[in-house]
Amino acid sequence: MANAEPPPVVIAEGVGHVTRYFLREVGSVFWLIANTFEETFERIQHGRLPFRAASFFRHTERVGVDSVPLAGLVSFFLGLTMALLTGYQLQRFGTERLIPGLVAIAFTRELGPLLTGIMIAARIGAAFTAELGTMQVSEEVEAIEAMGIGPLRFLVAPRMLALFLLMPCLSTVSNLAAIFASSLVCKAYFSIAFPYFLDLVKDSLLIRDIITGILKSFLFGLLIAAIACYRGLTVKGGAAGVGTSTTSSVVTAITAVIGFDTLYNVVYTTFYPT
Amino acid sequence: MVELRDVHMRFEEKKVLDGVSLKIEPRERLVIMGQSGSGKSTILRLILGTLQPDSGSIFFKQFEITRLSRRKLQRVRQHIGMVFQYSALLSSRNVRDNVALPLEELTDKSRSEIDKIVDEKLELVGMGDSKELLPEELSGGMRKRVALARALVLDPELLLLDEPSAGLDPVIGSVIDELIISLSEKSKVTSITATHEMDSAFRIATRMAMLYQGTIIKEAKPEEFKHSKNPVVAQFVSGSTEGPILEGSLDAITKK
Repeated sequence: MANAEPPPVVIAEGVGHVTRYFLREVGSVFWLIANTFEETFERIQHGRLPFRAASFFRHTERVGVDSVPLAGLVSFFLGLTMALLTGYQLQRFGTERLIPGLVAIAFTRELGPLLTGIMIAARIGAAFTAELGTMQVSEEVEAIEAMGIGPLRFLVAPRMLALFLLMPCLSTVSNLAAIFASSLVCKAYFSIAFPYFLDLVKDSLLIRDIITGILKSFLFGLLIAAIACYRGLTVKGGAAGVGTSTTSSVVTAITAVIGFDTLYNVVYTTFYPT
Repeated sequence: MVELRDVHMRFEEKKVLDGVSLKIEPRERLVIMGQSGSGKSTILRLILGTLQPDSGSIFFKQFEITRLSRRKLQRVRQHIGMVFQYSALLSSRNVRDNVALPLEELTDKSRSEIDKIVDEKLELVGMGDSKELLPEELSGGMRKRVALARALVLDPELLLLDEPSAGLDPVIGSVIDELIISLSEKSKVTSITATHEMDSAFRIATRMAMLYQGTIIKEAKPEEFKHSKNPVVAQFVSGSTEGPILEGSLDAITKK
């Protein structure tokens, strides 16, 4: 009897707890986004800048410029591998000229935003959580609040806007790096010259693919920023708490990015099946 | 100026405030005393509105803090200055930028006007020559003084001080105390100080309140406190190990 399975009531209770926790966390992240917008627009309505331009540009530099090498390099290598592996398979059927279109569509629609989202969640999401978490445990956030300054518009809004605006740019960098890498493979292994490669890319890529990728990137940027800032502002338990929240932030943000990507694709293919 | 009416507050299972009522008149310097963890800082945070009580009301002037919208609360907070126990200076900003922050964010003053006010407040706390230093380069006493300058930069009507002289050497502690006294006398600022440092408390206070087991057990002038017959107050003021405060807990400590 020692190994008896837990009764169904206990299992149901466990499921209930997990569901409640999940819904509370999701609700809190959306609350954070809504309140950040509210605080920011209130400030704009009063004819004042919601945050200092210097603060915003500092974040854009970190999120955007400093992330270009990582996003570019990872996508370049992935583009190389993808072109090489699919190329050999397609060559067996004499259809290697499909490689440029395949890589271009896969990256602009799916892999570019997704890979960038995962990389940024790890690189920038972790940094945002650690930064805000440290401010939270050292009472800096409360001090800002105590002065009558809205902490959401002062701390969260510039970070959120920077990620929201820079994610599509980084996705574009990722797409271009992957397409460029595949052009090198096409030239070296499958004798597809660069002008022909470009024609094939142009023929296969639709504006719709590009727009889909860009819309996803905006969404991922907003999600990563909201999750990272939420985790940072809710840190409890000192330095150890900052560490735990940072790990949790990265895991949650990556999971959310992949989850929303799937959801987006399901909705998109339902309404635009071709 | 400030009134707490039957305030109850608990953190999870722990009851921190159990029906606290307090009234603070304009230009008073009230010192709230009590053991560590007795709820002194909680009272300050409740007045500031960064914590919400489980029940009871808190008033600052005509405003009921517990019922204000976020926007109104932010406006009310601009009339209250808070000095946190560990100073809570923004670590990424230097001294000048820390003190200037409320002015930059909440007023339409020009850069030169802000600089003038910042210089004035930093001179007031004797930190005029440390403007470019980062908080990590300051000692505990210097941080406290910068935090005080920041709390004063919007010329608040009410000043809340959480353990202003804790962890400081006696000389710097006295300097901070003298500053608080001179501010209240010159600028007519009302102050509420939470502390368990008796020397500092008696120096600052025009009135004192003792918080014990979630309630205010005594409110009186400092002189009356010094000679109180209340066993808890008498033990706390004298710092004796004999008395009701440590009953039970002292036995537990000595038996270990």
